[in-house]
Amino acid sequence: MEFVSPEGLRLDGRRPTEMRQLRAEIGNVAKADGSAVFEMGNTKVIAAVYGPREVQNKSQQMSDQALVRCEYSMANFSTGDRMRKPKGDRRSTEISLVIRQTMEACILTHLMPRSQIDIFVQVLQADGGTRSACINAATLALQDAGIPMRDIVTSCSAGYLNSTPLLDLNYVEDSAGGPDVTVGLRLLSCGTYGYTLGPMD
Amino acid sequence: MEAKPSTANLVDKIVVPGDVVLDLSSMTNQTIKLGGGLRQECDSVSVIKAGKLRFSKPNKYWVESSQKRYVPCVEDTVLGIVVDCKADNFFVDIRGPTIAFLPVLAFEGGTRRNIPKFEIGSLLYVRVVKANPGMNPELSCTDASGKAAEFGLLKDGYMFETSTGLSRMLLSSPTCPVLEELGKQLSFEIAVGLNGRVNAESPSTVVLVSNAIMNSESLSAVQQKIMVDKLLQRIK
Repeated sequence: MEFVSPEGLRLDGRRPTEMRQLRAEIGNVAKADGSAVFEMGNTKVIAAVYGPREVQNKSQQMSDQALVRCEYSMANFSTGDRMRKPKGDRRSTEISLVIRQTMEACILTHLMPRSQIDIFVQVLQADGGTRSACINAATLALQDAGIPMRDIVTSCSAGYLNSTPLLDLNYVEDSAGGPDVTVGLRLLSCGTYGYTLGPMD
Repeated sequence: MEAKPSTANLVDKIVVPGDVVLDLSSMTNQTIKLGGGLRQECDSVSVIKAGKLRFSKPNKYWVESSQKRYVPCVEDTVLGIVVDCKADNFFVDIRGPTIAFLPVLAFEGGTRRNIPKFEIGSLLYVRVVKANPGMNPELSCTDASGKAAEFGLLKDGYMFETSTGLSRMLLSSPTCPVLEELGKQLSFEIAVGLNGRVNAESPSTVVLVSNAIMNSESLSAVQQKIMVDKLLQRIK
């Protein structure tokens, strides 16, 4: 199947290095300390952050830093066919771990010992790039909650199809079978860029 | 990638975590005081909380930000809700990371014989005495010299929760525009806690006062005046 036309346009009319339309809102979840909705094209993700608050499971309490927990789930209606088990499957557990490690690297956890920060991310519409949208939404939600962070983390996916590198894959391009990578970038304080994660699917 | 020089003057602008505010290698032999939201990393001062960068002469920098959750600071006056009573302390929720303790003797003229009895759910106006990270904060119902000074139980009124930025605006001097406009036409009393809780008391217009305050968070002075006028039209 042709993913990049001879004129250089992708299936949705974008150029190979063009991103989808981005949209972000913060403060949507009234009960949460911080929340954000992030859209990348048709992929829509909502993140809610609670914390810093008392640790619920005292055995996990750390006396010198905060405990960061993250839960990723997809809403039943987020994909084309209704999902039967949105949480607890291997993919969700792996993505939860990846998001937690990314955000933990940026949060100044030593400023909030003996406390817990919960990040809940849920995908409302899935059209490729959900991992990136989740990291972006989680960053905004953490800033809305006023949790001290070293840096902002932004994320995007990229792949290689029809001998062309493509930026920000949607679902059709993602499931085409080519290699793809999700990269999280920290805009370090002096203006250089660093890489924090890059799982290869 | 090459490093960009960080020379932009960001005072009074919105900043996000990671922005470099000052380059210390070019400022020698100066003392700078850093307030909340800023952190020193070797030779640069960077932002750790999103907000507006402020500077006050001669040498104080800080980031003003507004959140729902409160970070306890010594000498802050806050509104707390009693959640439990133990032998030595009252457990008071001040919307921070942990529950705060209020010693039963921390009242004016407090002795073991006249310990006040607070019901669970009572609202108290208290002062933060100790606030170390990782430990439960300690409160007191007296000021530094041991007098009561209006601290203690707030009996009447309607309590609502806002963000920390709004409560700082309500307590700023000169008086913030929304309170000034309301004061011209109505009589009311409010107790503002720096943890985002406000208790409003008024003989008949308490809901109007609380709605006006809650609406005024992101409005400029002129917009606040217009908003208050519109609300006051309704009761005429």
